[in-house]
Amino acid sequence: MTWWCSATGQPWSWSPIAYPGIWLAMGVLVAIYVRSWRRLAAAGALDPADGKRRWAFGFGVGALWLATDWPIGTLGSGYLASVHMVQFQMYTLLAAPLLLLGMPPAMFGRLLAALRIDGLAHRLARPVVAGVTFNLLLLFTHSPFVVDRARTNQVGSFVLDVLWLVAGMILWLPVLGPRNGFRHPSPAVQCLYLFLAMGVVPMIPGAILTFSELPLYSVYELAPRVGSIDVTADQQVAGLIMKVGNLPFLWTAIAAIFFTWARRDREAAVTGTVPVTH
Amino acid sequence: MIAVLVVGGALIASLAIIRSSASTSGPASEWKGTAITPDRPRPDFVLTDLEGKPYDFRARTAGTLTLLFFGYTNCPDICPIQMATLTGALRTDPGLPATVVFVTTDPVRDTPDRLRTWLQGFDHPVTALTGTPEQLVAAQEAAGLQPAIAGPPRPDGSYDVGHAAQVLAVTPDDRIHVVYPFGVRREDWLDDLHRMLEVPEWQARSGS
Repeated sequence: MTWWCSATGQPWSWSPIAYPGIWLAMGVLVAIYVRSWRRLAAAGALDPADGKRRWAFGFGVGALWLATDWPIGTLGSGYLASVHMVQFQMYTLLAAPLLLLGMPPAMFGRLLAALRIDGLAHRLARPVVAGVTFNLLLLFTHSPFVVDRARTNQVGSFVLDVLWLVAGMILWLPVLGPRNGFRHPSPAVQCLYLFLAMGVVPMIPGAILTFSELPLYSVYELAPRVGSIDVTADQQVAGLIMKVGNLPFLWTAIAAIFFTWARRDREAAVTGTVPVTH
Repeated sequence: MIAVLVVGGALIASLAIIRSSASTSGPASEWKGTAITPDRPRPDFVLTDLEGKPYDFRARTAGTLTLLFFGYTNCPDICPIQMATLTGALRTDPGLPATVVFVTTDPVRDTPDRLRTWLQGFDHPVTALTGTPEQLVAAQEAAGLQPAIAGPPRPDGSYDVGHAAQVLAVTPDDRIHVVYPFGVRREDWLDDLHRMLEVPEWQARSGS
């Protein structure tokens, strides 16, 4: 049974393919969330403002599902590098921050405790550590050695998908980590951090993909073609997406941080209190 | 400062890994294709080119590095990928003196117009040949290949053709020393084609 998207070498078809493993994973994710939410609500551990987090979680799961399942998951895992790069952006810049936003602080704390990674998460939430870890994971999981081996089997492909989601969560931890447990850097540092970690460093592998004369990944070079899309053009588009596809997300996040900062400063000026930025 | 150095060092190391792992080069003595022993002579057959004129393969390509492939334009996977990697490699190095010859194994559907249109998609000069079914069987046998067989037709009338997937590399000494199964990459083609032209025994002999 084909339970997860991977490169199969089969000619591309627009006939949908069912991946029960993906549906199961999404179902488990939602079930854990709902169960945890009910327990926290029963214990009175939820803040009234947490209600809207459910929307963020729902959209996060939706983005994750869209990026993992047919057709994006199928095309990205075994046919087109450009679609893979869209998929990667959806994991790291859409699904991961929305899932983080969707978890109430109490739920996030319990999740870390249950996974026994509370200390690790706090270390990863430091901007330098998070930025380095995210970009190392980005480079490692995009090296031809890893992609060509992992994408050709379902287990490897599943591991890559999980790694990209985890990498995205690490990237956003210094900015979107729960305010009750994680020390946040100042808004200016958050903006600088996102600019460097998300905007500058990925330009390097993006440029390698864009300007390489030969295809880097055998999994895409030797895949049955989709329409008349040439391998080199596909790789160039993938590189461009890696270089500039993140910019709308980056500048939206920076704008949001800046305007929130300005609003808090204005409110503090009116009430005469010191703005809280940590 | 230490963090910057660590980040910089890690990035440089990772990029080096990316670049090095993109190469699949093995020991210098090994070919990316399959070396055949004993080697075989340049196939001797006469087919028809897209202008409808006879094309004597042996005479027309004698003394040149020739890449010979038998396939069909409706092939869903092997043929377009083999042709794309091969012509893609040659596009990268236009100075490489190699001739690509594509022989159809599906003469009924692969009309000259269909062949011309399909090959234009590869954006590199390719000599396309066709012929009668008997001529094509003879050509494949002359090349040392199992003749292609058409599969059973589907309800919509389409069918697949089972055929040899390898590209035959005929060197300027008019011998086939290496064949290339499916899965050879562009960089592998470039490596091997350059090396073939550097093997002294495989070059055209004067007077031949």
